[in-house]
Amino acid sequence: MELCDLTALELTKMLRKKEVSAVEILQSSLDRIAKVDGRPGSLDHTTELTEEDKQKVHAFITRTDEIALIQAQEVDRKISAGEDPGLLAGVPFSVKDIFCVKDTCSTAASKILANFKAPYTATPVERMLQAGAVMVGKVNLDEFTYGSSNESSAFQPSPRNPWKTDRVPGGSSGGSAASVGAGEVPLSLGTDTAGSIRQPAAFCGVVGVKPTYGRVSRYGLIAFASSLDCPGPVARTVSDAAAMLQVIGGADPHDATASPLDMPDYLSTIEDGVKGMRIGLSPDYFRITYPDPKTGDLLSQPLPAEIENAVRSAAEKLAAMGAEIIEDVPMPNTRFGIPAYFVISRVEAASNLHRYDGVKYGLRTQQSFNDLNKMYRFTRNEGFGLQPKLRILMGMYVSAAQYSEQYYRRALRVRTLIRRDFEAVYDPRGKYRLDALLTPTTPTTAFEMAAVYGNSVLMQYADQLTVPANHAGIPGISLPAGFDASGLPIGIQLLGADFTESTLFRIGRAFEKATETESWRQVKPQVLQDF
Amino acid sequence: MTDYEAIIGLETHIQLNTTTKVFCSCKADSWFAPPNTNICPVCCGLPGVLPVLNKAVVEKAVLLAHAMNAEIRPLSYFDRKNYFYPDLPKGYQISQFDQSLAKGGYLDLPVPASASPDKKAYTRRVSIWKLHIEEDAGKTKTAGNRRFIDFNRCGVPLVEMVTGPDLRTADEAAQYLIRLRQLLRWLGISEADMEKAHLRCDANVSIRVRGETKFNPKTEIKNVNSIDAVRDAIAKEIDRQIREVEAGNRIQAWTLEWDEDSGTLKKMRSKETEADYRYFREPDLLPIRMSEDWKNQILSDFPELPLARRARFIEQYNLPEYDADILTSERKLSDYFENTVRAYGGDPKKVSNWLMNDVLRMINDQGLNPEEMKLTSAALAEILKLVDKGTININTGKSLLQKVQDSGKSPDQIVADEGLGLVSDDGAIRAVCEEVLAESPNEVASYKAGKVTLIGWFVGSVMKKMRGKADASLARQILEELLK
Repeated sequence: MELCDLTALELTKMLRKKEVSAVEILQSSLDRIAKVDGRPGSLDHTTELTEEDKQKVHAFITRTDEIALIQAQEVDRKISAGEDPGLLAGVPFSVKDIFCVKDTCSTAASKILANFKAPYTATPVERMLQAGAVMVGKVNLDEFTYGSSNESSAFQPSPRNPWKTDRVPGGSSGGSAASVGAGEVPLSLGTDTAGSIRQPAAFCGVVGVKPTYGRVSRYGLIAFASSLDCPGPVARTVSDAAAMLQVIGGADPHDATASPLDMPDYLSTIEDGVKGMRIGLSPDYFRITYPDPKTGDLLSQPLPAEIENAVRSAAEKLAAMGAEIIEDVPMPNTRFGIPAYFVISRVEAASNLHRYDGVKYGLRTQQSFNDLNKMYRFTRNEGFGLQPKLRILMGMYVSAAQYSEQYYRRALRVRTLIRRDFEAVYDPRGKYRLDALLTPTTPTTAFEMAAVYGNSVLMQYADQLTVPANHAGIPGISLPAGFDASGLPIGIQLLGADFTESTLFRIGRAFEKATETESWRQVKPQVLQDF
Repeated sequence: MTDYEAIIGLETHIQLNTTTKVFCSCKADSWFAPPNTNICPVCCGLPGVLPVLNKAVVEKAVLLAHAMNAEIRPLSYFDRKNYFYPDLPKGYQISQFDQSLAKGGYLDLPVPASASPDKKAYTRRVSIWKLHIEEDAGKTKTAGNRRFIDFNRCGVPLVEMVTGPDLRTADEAAQYLIRLRQLLRWLGISEADMEKAHLRCDANVSIRVRGETKFNPKTEIKNVNSIDAVRDAIAKEIDRQIREVEAGNRIQAWTLEWDEDSGTLKKMRSKETEADYRYFREPDLLPIRMSEDWKNQILSDFPELPLARRARFIEQYNLPEYDADILTSERKLSDYFENTVRAYGGDPKKVSNWLMNDVLRMINDQGLNPEEMKLTSAALAEILKLVDKGTININTGKSLLQKVQDSGKSPDQIVADEGLGLVSDDGAIRAVCEEVLAESPNEVASYKAGKVTLIGWFVGSVMKKMRGKADASLARQILEELLK
């Protein structure tokens, strides 16, 4: 056990007691990165992966060691001067490279922004820095967050799952989950548009929180689907995630969609237990539904037994602690989540990508052009990878005047129906009166690298159980809940009503306590087994 | 020859005179700023930025909507209008589409005799089809094969207001713009200066045989930056369309550009198909919730509008239309007029004469603001009263205007200090009269020979010697007596 394997809250406690310095904590984090991360992602795709590469995590695109050292020294100075160093003082963290951070490269894992240095810092990052946390670098993701495996990054090698390096870490916050899972940092800032925090958290055996839409400012987050994007924490424990949300959440004058509601004190209630809580299980989250590629008919398939069992076993433990488990909660529109998401997210994405045109910043084609449209075409063709191109095509198509009613407007109506499913089950005067739904996070555990990549539709179904929360705007959290037969982490998910993160943290923390002595909690990721 | 009528609709873009831009805290006006100096990450559309709505923009737009008799929606939305252009940094413009701030509306446009084909004044009701808030784009300048882009104007708050196809002559279109400009300044929501692009206008023009009800293909005239140019351009386009139709050609839906220097229209492009802007709700902004409270607060000191005030001036003060028009051309001037009338208590037409002849010249020549002049409405009323009482004559009164404006002293004070009061002492005037007659033997002889009109010349000479201070009627009386 090294410093970097401790939780954020343990580290800040030791720091305040002067048992350790911020510089020492940082050094431990940098040492771990040096051991397990391997070479950072780059635009050079010609170098063949070596056997050594295949054993590494490759979470980072950009390291900010020097800035981190200055930040850590400042924390140490504050502590020795008796000043308040902040809630997360001295805690190293990584930032998904979809957030702008002043004077660092903010690439969105795309060639088109490879040289872009933001002149400002995103609000959640700024708040982490204000709280004394130490940013060690920017981590990899699917290009513009468009994916669920992290393989679509323009910066290769893409991250690998620390539990088994021939597996994907999930995505799009793959670098975030991998860096936390491998003990490189206790905390990472990710984003979740359809499951992009929760799914990689589940794959990498860590905690991932998608807060209520509007709980955390999006200012400085390079937009994918603006009505769905949520910044949120990736951590190794529920309490760490709660502390991080405490820091990054709250109103922001730069984001009109950030909620003005007061932030609750999450840590003050997190140990309150689940006694009397009503937690629901829904059959609609124990299967996946997908269109038959030939006929378009919706087919349905149960989830692997190991995953369903993990959820049921968690429900039993929560029941044993006094929660009431409500079975057979109907969530009938869950199955339409992916098709509706496919449409809505692409429309917003295509529009959000318009600004990358070679005029102002980022890549401009080196080919000669004699008219403006050629410049646009060359630049966007060279700068965007496959995923942005597919999403632009789809987004343009379904929002065109003649198709909009049939696709985009229809998808918006489906979105409302999904929202109503949740409203019905959380309604305090309704039939179910749930405090939370307990579901699997993902239909499978981490898949092999290259196994799904290339099949955009199949890849998207990795998000089937997470995307409804994004449609509805509600909060969700993924918790590690054991391993499957091949030793890969299984994630379970709690979904709550708007702004009930504190409830989800309480349940998550209770589950952690109930399982803390179980043997699977002691298992180390593959990349850490040698030391 | 067939009798044609023109069908004209105007699309105006109005720059609101807020302090800051619509979605960021840059200054709204960059008129004197060098290119790309009044910009920030938000208005330049950098990755990751978000718009935050400036409430003052909504409030000013509500004032305009109310003035145009439009219905203000309790819930309206922003939408993205997607298109590529180098001076549109986000690749979409934040605008309002199907659920905009205001719905419907109209302006009852008075068309004066001078702008009427049969020289009879009439009123034209112009309907409003669109009234919404949007952000401006930047400016592109082309020099040879290079383009220069200035983002200063990005995010400047605009109201786009589109009329129905209700205007029938180029003069009506010009009158509409004159009245719109007056209204915008009156409400204090825009400088409405066309030369500075605070008020921009595109005109849609088609013609049809008078009596027909269908609409024929229209052309759109762009880049016209003065009211006169709008009138000229529309008139020329109507003539062109008539010539084309008479020659058996069909009018094609072109976009035309007005070339100010040559005074001609040039074809910019054909408009075969409508562009698809793929509008959808702007997810980065909340809807505008216009509560009754907020609306009432915005409209709490909504002013009497210029056309209503003009009608009232004619009715209440018995002013000629011409006077009422000029006195309501600008809100501060009309307030000044009415305050003077109240303080004076005499004939409003007399106030109007003084204002239009003398005070207005001072205001225009010296670039004064009626609200802030040292020559206050109370001071002007006092001068009028002094003249009425015979304390000073009209000329002295008029000379007082500038003196009060320069010194800030009260008219009374200046009259006393400079001894400007009329001399009505018989002896003093009689002495000067005798002097004048003694110096002008020839004129005296002519007068006595019957050229009695010379009396005016004698009075003038006396006034001149007494530097205008003599009571002219007394001088005349004495002169006539001496010349008997």
